[in-house]
Amino acid sequence: MASDNHSDSGNSNSNGNNSGNNFKWDPLRFLSKKPDEVLKKVDDRLDELEKEYFKGKKDKEENLPNIFGIYGVTRRDFLKWSAFLTSALMLPYIFEPRVARAANILTRTPFIWLDMADCMGNTEAFLRNANPTPAEIILNYVSVNYMESIMAPAGYQAEARRTETVKKYKGKYILVVEGAIPTGMDGKFLTIGAKGDTGLKITKETAKHAGVIIAVGNCAAYGGIPAANPNPTSAVGLSSVTNRSVINIPACPANPVNLVGTLVEYLLIGKAPQLDNLGRPLWAYSGRLHDNCYRRGHFEAGEYVRQWGDDGAKKQYCLYMMGCKGPFTWNNCTTAEYNQDISFPMRAGHGCIGCSQPKFWDRMTPFEKPNADAKIIIPGVEATADEFGVGLFAAAGAGIAAHAIYTGVKKKKERNNNKSKNENNDDSKKNNDKKE
Amino acid sequence: MQNKNSKYAEIQLVHRMTVIKRIIHWSFFAAIINNIITGFYIAYPFLIFGKTPTQADSLSTGVLNSGETYQAFIMTWMREFHFIGAVIIDVIFFVWLYLAFFSWKEPLYKSFIPFGDKMEEAWRMLKHYFTLKDRPETGKYQDPLNAIIFTFFHLLILLQMLTGFQMYVASFTGTSAVGAWWPWLLHFSTDWTLVVFGGLTGVTLVHLFIMWLIIIFIVYHIYIEVWRSVMWKEGDILIPFGGYKYMRNKSGSE
Repeated sequence: MASDNHSDSGNSNSNGNNSGNNFKWDPLRFLSKKPDEVLKKVDDRLDELEKEYFKGKKDKEENLPNIFGIYGVTRRDFLKWSAFLTSALMLPYIFEPRVARAANILTRTPFIWLDMADCMGNTEAFLRNANPTPAEIILNYVSVNYMESIMAPAGYQAEARRTETVKKYKGKYILVVEGAIPTGMDGKFLTIGAKGDTGLKITKETAKHAGVIIAVGNCAAYGGIPAANPNPTSAVGLSSVTNRSVINIPACPANPVNLVGTLVEYLLIGKAPQLDNLGRPLWAYSGRLHDNCYRRGHFEAGEYVRQWGDDGAKKQYCLYMMGCKGPFTWNNCTTAEYNQDISFPMRAGHGCIGCSQPKFWDRMTPFEKPNADAKIIIPGVEATADEFGVGLFAAAGAGIAAHAIYTGVKKKKERNNNKSKNENNDDSKKNNDKKE
Repeated sequence: MQNKNSKYAEIQLVHRMTVIKRIIHWSFFAAIINNIITGFYIAYPFLIFGKTPTQADSLSTGVLNSGETYQAFIMTWMREFHFIGAVIIDVIFFVWLYLAFFSWKEPLYKSFIPFGDKMEEAWRMLKHYFTLKDRPETGKYQDPLNAIIFTFFHLLILLQMLTGFQMYVASFTGTSAVGAWWPWLLHFSTDWTLVVFGGLTGVTLVHLFIMWLIIIFIVYHIYIEVWRSVMWKEGDILIPFGGYKYMRNKSGSE
């Protein structure tokens, strides 16, 4: 557990990069300095929410068994998962039953999921699982009031459902946005629904009254692939179109654990989790992949995969030479892992592509070559830093050689001139440097 | 220091580099060479030390290989020496900065601040390089052109320090062995590089590119000092060794 540093959470939203800045971690989330008080506050909040979203004790207690029963997830599995989530959230263990309660409440919290310019990869990742973990099941069962990909109503009815939710649960509903928001041509690059409203307009309207706003996936958080160079639609991340604070859960797709964890934390403490200076929850995004990678030892040992499928790859050597962008990426892939918590890129034998960093499609490419091989693009020229360097070095070398030859030739000429002069003038010129 | 020989009557000895400055010069040189070599390795690990049958087909393979992973740690050593070199460079940079303004002997700023006729003097020196005529007279202090170029070189070093520290602080999580002020200071002073150069990958590439500029500077520097020694016959190349050079002015009045 991190240090007991009780001070105000200073999360500047400056355009810095990594999470180390202003890292003042408090496991009690700055709710209070006294642990008992924190627990009481959390309990009161959970009681209140349970009263609001459940119709009595029976409803509350049977909710999760009903949901998980369908998938064959036992109570024991669920408790294991809630313990895992508690530790992933860096909460003290006493919070575990409270995390379980919050997960229960989460299935009833009104929820709007907007899809903007993207591939719906996050939706797919959360919904299509052969053996979903509790995180994914909870995401399947949240009380989704509007989510284009799974809702029954269509057209005007769907629109009405959204506006109704915004009105009815003002300041309470959770807004999750997936996908970048095109802003070019007044947002006309993306129109959604029967009325043909622009994505820009819908996002702004919905974000205005949301209880908490979450940008899930790199596109929603930082613009992602739609915003990659040359970005014809002027796509931007969610935080650029709304002036409310946005919790970014980047990655492509985002890890369901990070989304559910953030939502659970919101339900527990009633405010956004501590964010780093890129708007990402600190509990999930404070570690650099390279530092937590299980192949790090091979990096230090100088043992690298040089070619796909070589012996190094079979021995799980470091993927640094195959273009792993772990050294530039902050996420918890290495600890919370993907795909039902069993794997992540490096374990699968491919390097990280840096998908939880801003502009990863521009900055992290080429994905399968070391960063030193990345091209620097200056209008007209496209070369690696080394090619530029060698080019300049060669030019400088040629210049020096030319200067040396020039000097030699000129000197010789002068000497000849002087010699002929000296024959005439004796050695009256002392200061001409020609003493040999 | 007048020489009695009439032929060399105008030659005078000039003290240019104190012992401190010579120590700085050579430790700077050693540290930079060290960091260029180790930096190359970190950017692109050209030697493989984990020997596997399919990886053992190049000459460089297994040069320092000691067999098992736990015995190798070549990257650790490269990074270690890179950091040690970086610390030396950092200290030297700040000492240089101090001396550039407060040196008793020769504050560099007097030579490079473009006031008075300094810029014109630098321009004359540049013209001399290409025409070999009208050599500006050797003064007590460094000539302005060199001073300007050295200053530019130190700015490159500064940029290298800032980008390097940004990559260094990336592995910190909020605190360090010496306290939270250290990563805070590094973030405070270097986070702007992320914005300017486009993320940590961009910072890395800039760090790599500036290394090439520094290599070019080293080659230029050696060339021009040798050139001066040959052309002027004032022993410029001796300055970083003995601290002295000669002055051979037409007027001899200096």
